Amino acid sequence: MNPRLKNLYKEVILMHNAKPFHFQKMENEEGMIEANNPLCGDRFQFFLQEENGRITAAHFHGFGCAISKASASILTQKLEGKTRLEAQSLCAGFLGFIEGENREAISDQEIEAFAAVDEFPARKDCAILGWKAINDYLSK
Amino acid sequence: MTLPQNIKSHFPIFTHHPGLLYFDNAATTQRPQVVIEAIEKFYKEENANIHRGVYPLSARASQAYERVRAQVANFIGAANSKDVAFTSGTTDSINRVASGYLKKQLEEGDNIIISALAHHANLIPWQMLAEEKKAELRVISVDAQGNVDLNELLKKLDRRSRLLAITSISNSIGTLNPVAEMIDLAHRKGVPVLVDGAQSTGLYPLNVRTLGADFYTFSAHKMFGPFGVGVLYVRPRYQDQIKPIHFGGGMIKRVQFSKTEFLDFPKNQEAGTPNVAGVIGLGAAISFCEKLDQVQCAKHLKSLAAYAKEAFASIDGLHLVGQPKDYGGIVSFTMDQVHPHDLAQFLGEEGIAVRAGHHCTQPLLESMGLAATTRASFSIYNSTAEIDQMLEALKAIKKFWE
Repeated sequence: MNPRLKNLYKEVILMHNAKPFHFQKMENEEGMIEANNPLCGDRFQFFLQEENGRITAAHFHGFGCAISKASASILTQKLEGKTRLEAQSLCAGFLGFIEGENREAISDQEIEAFAAVDEFPARKDCAILGWKAINDYLSK
Repeated sequence: MTLPQNIKSHFPIFTHHPGLLYFDNAATTQRPQVVIEAIEKFYKEENANIHRGVYPLSARASQAYERVRAQVANFIGAANSKDVAFTSGTTDSINRVASGYLKKQLEEGDNIIISALAHHANLIPWQMLAEEKKAELRVISVDAQGNVDLNELLKKLDRRSRLLAITSISNSIGTLNPVAEMIDLAHRKGVPVLVDGAQSTGLYPLNVRTLGADFYTFSAHKMFGPFGVGVLYVRPRYQDQIKPIHFGGGMIKRVQFSKTEFLDFPKNQEAGTPNVAGVIGLGAAISFCEKLDQVQCAKHLKSLAAYAKEAFASIDGLHLVGQPKDYGGIVSFTMDQVHPHDLAQFLGEEGIAVRAGHHCTQPLLESMGLAATTRASFSIYNSTAEIDQMLEALKAIKKFWE
């Protein structure tokens, strides 16, 4: 595999793609958040359980490429235990990171893994698919 | 005549990208040198606006523009250049028929028939119109192989059917439809037919009159011409029923503050300054296609697709999407464990240009239980040796993702 691809499909991304975190459909339809990319047809559903303003459990399900699925998996994992405010700042931080902002401030290996989308601008939408939907939901 | 051996050398993109395997021809073809030169020559040596100028340069541009109209008419088998309007592309052409023709014909309870193979461009305009007019949009389904069922078409046609809109070749799974038979069935019930010829025009034999198409649409950029130009052919008997949907200069007989009289078809479809250089480029693309033997081209594309299908299907875990009886140069597939986008990304890094996604046929893929496929679509400059290269790349990708 060429180094460019190796850089995009990092081990951590491939792992999350192969074994995504809490990848299952849940019953709570009313708490479902849809993330879809009309350009390619990729679509995930997120299911958040909230208690007293804190996300106690997060699950996701759906269909997407390795980049979008891994990023949705990492997102789901990170959301658990966060307050709404913390979750919002997490999403905003990731969206900014993908746009090239505050790169030095981030020292999270799982988030940094997505820096390679710089080289593949068409894949930025894949990386942010879930994060944008959750961010929009939390900002409502 | 077989295809010219050195066909690739006519396309400068391959000089600039010697290793490129271009398998995204259903999205847009590459442009031969003669088309690029014609456009450049127009801008450098012949540029002027058409119609309203009396000076020599404008008169010559007007003549050149009208010559292409005659050339298009001749190429598609229309009787008269007046049967051909220039548009911005297939999407534009179809929207003109929807809003300029069918809107006035359609009443509550009428129906429009499309097939499940329709590109979104040949679906949404009808869906919007049906919704607005409280008419019904009837969809002929396809079988598991991707073939249209003619019996179902026959059942769906009735005295409230106002239009059948079909596609020559499915851009998504390659089905080559029995367009002449479908038109014949519709005509027996007195229903006019629109054909989306975007995927076939240029490389397949075509005569709109023997075919019987009432409306025929295609885009220049899918047949070696420039972006932003298309054609709408309208059979003479419908020409006074297709009204303009855009208004402005160049399309009028007489304008008063109280009312306007319009020119007849096709001029009433060409409001404003048209894409003159684009039309000139389309003319060059047609000249290029005229030198090809369309029967041979169609055979070449089908044999490439057949070769690719057999080769790709030999990979364990690779599934062809659609196995239609007759097909063009388009092969769609999925691979277990690998999302089409990731697959296309890996191929892209190997210099292999394919497309991944729903190919603007979301309902079709959904009906097959799919969200996306990887699609390889061929043209005259592709070869079996290139397909062999793609096969090796696919094997390597499969190995990586296992």
